[in-house]
Amino acid sequence: MLTHYKLNTIVLRGLVYLLLFILLVITIVPIWLLLVNATRSTTEIQQGVGFLPSSHLVENYGILQGKGLNLWRGFLNSLFVAVASTVLTVYFGLMTAYGIVVYNFKGKYLFSNFIIILVLIPMQLSIVGFYQYMSVLGLTDNFASLILPTIAAAGSVFFGKQYLESVIIKDLIDAGRVDGASEFSIFHRIMMPIAIPGAVTMGIFAFIASWNNFFNAFILISSIEKYTLPMLVQTLRGDVYRTEYGAIYLGLAVTIVPIIIIYLIFSRYIVSGIAMGSVKE
Amino acid sequence: MVKFKRDHYGYIFIAPFIIAFLIFGLYPVYNTFYLSFTDTTLLGGDANFVGLTNFTRLFADNVFMKAVKNTWIIWILNFIPQIGIAMLLAVWFTSLRLRLKGVGVWRALFFLPNLLMPAAIAALFFSLFSFYGPVNQFLVRAGILPEAMQFLQNQTIARGLVIFIQWWMWFGATIILLMAGMTAIPTALYESAMIDGANERQMLWRITIPLLKPILIFVFVTSLVGGMQIFDIPYLLTDGRGSPAGSIMTNNILMYLKFSSSKGHIGAASAVGVLVFIMTCICAFGIFYFLREKK
Repeated sequence: MLTHYKLNTIVLRGLVYLLLFILLVITIVPIWLLLVNATRSTTEIQQGVGFLPSSHLVENYGILQGKGLNLWRGFLNSLFVAVASTVLTVYFGLMTAYGIVVYNFKGKYLFSNFIIILVLIPMQLSIVGFYQYMSVLGLTDNFASLILPTIAAAGSVFFGKQYLESVIIKDLIDAGRVDGASEFSIFHRIMMPIAIPGAVTMGIFAFIASWNNFFNAFILISSIEKYTLPMLVQTLRGDVYRTEYGAIYLGLAVTIVPIIIIYLIFSRYIVSGIAMGSVKE
Repeated sequence: MVKFKRDHYGYIFIAPFIIAFLIFGLYPVYNTFYLSFTDTTLLGGDANFVGLTNFTRLFADNVFMKAVKNTWIIWILNFIPQIGIAMLLAVWFTSLRLRLKGVGVWRALFFLPNLLMPAAIAALFFSLFSFYGPVNQFLVRAGILPEAMQFLQNQTIARGLVIFIQWWMWFGATIILLMAGMTAIPTALYESAMIDGANERQMLWRITIPLLKPILIFVFVTSLVGGMQIFDIPYLLTDGRGSPAGSIMTNNILMYLKFSSSKGHIGAASAVGVLVFIMTCICAFGIFYFLREKK
């Protein structure tokens, strides 16, 4: 016989699943419509809401090209900036974190608290001063102004420090020193291979942050051939494309499909990375 | 002596970060503060030191106060349901009584919008809610609306949509953070509470939430800092000027408008940045101070 408690649990569980399903629909339907509409013609889109893919993908791409929107170049620009930023963020983030974790130098705790404060400060609000300064240096409309600042990515150092504290084995470092390896070759040859899972997580977040970054690129980049994908998204909002729904959806789909693919492959790293960036203060 | 020297390598390892931070982080902040006291424009020409003029103008101008107010409204109205629903789901997902299936999959799906490009999301919702968009098509065919309506010309709907999108993008991330905090709480605490006859609600308020405090502070502060800088979504959802009637004009949109005005008033734009910077830092550190563990 079912007890009152058990019956309650079953009813509650059913209600919870129902609510989860409703939330899932809210979460997925906009994204699904975006992907599906990228393959539908403007006429089909105007005729009604549809949830099944159609066959007008290539046609939509042709329309975008015909209007002079170089999606492919934007894709490559975004890819270049994101890959370069990722490499710098991961390498220097781990290097800084390694310095904090392994060595006992004066000011170490001050520096590591300073990193936490930097994570929490709205640095983006200094973009105007940054822009004016870059224009003095002649670095506006130059990818360097988007890439180089990622050497000092406080969030990555914070994450790297949490990660290294959990994986570094002092004995291995000492063994390397006994073998006569220099401090830098210990960092490169011994620590790097151990830290690969952490580096992958850091890299994914750095890549996605750079890939999605609209505001900085929007302020710093001005010539059309250097536009990154989010900037092209902004031009898609313009009058030229007003009635080309299929093409607009395709332009948007190109920006999010790579991220969805990365997520499908690395979702474990991403979900655990989110959690790790915050736990343990 | 040898060991002392070795620890100095720490400075070498952190040196690239410090140098890059001084050049690309600290100096721009200083420069922004400096510019906010001048009448510098992008056209060049003589820039003069004008004291607090930029600031007094901002305070005299309704637009600035409105942008600050809007930004707070958008953040607060998205944060409350975000933390509320995330807390509810995190409790259910970790509940030993419910034993839900596929927690990892649900969680991964709810988190997906957080990774997508905000600019593209804004453009997507613009399309979905446009006059000939799918939402209108659906509502008219289902007989809910008599005829298609201009959603994005209605102040309440436009602002509500920004709030909804923010919620939509962030509640999944908050679930993950809260669950990470919950799994770190020793189960022995719940067991002994159960022996003492505590019910689920009491365990939530007396054990879970107090022990989640560090995570809650983290979520609170990072959400606030991000929320005060919201730009992509409200900028790309309508015309980039906070329309309709300035209802989704935010701090950063105003800063951008000053920056991109025909003369490029970067002195005035910097003043917006400086004020929002100070306001955000005070609030963020205030939250830290008042919610910290009191010894």
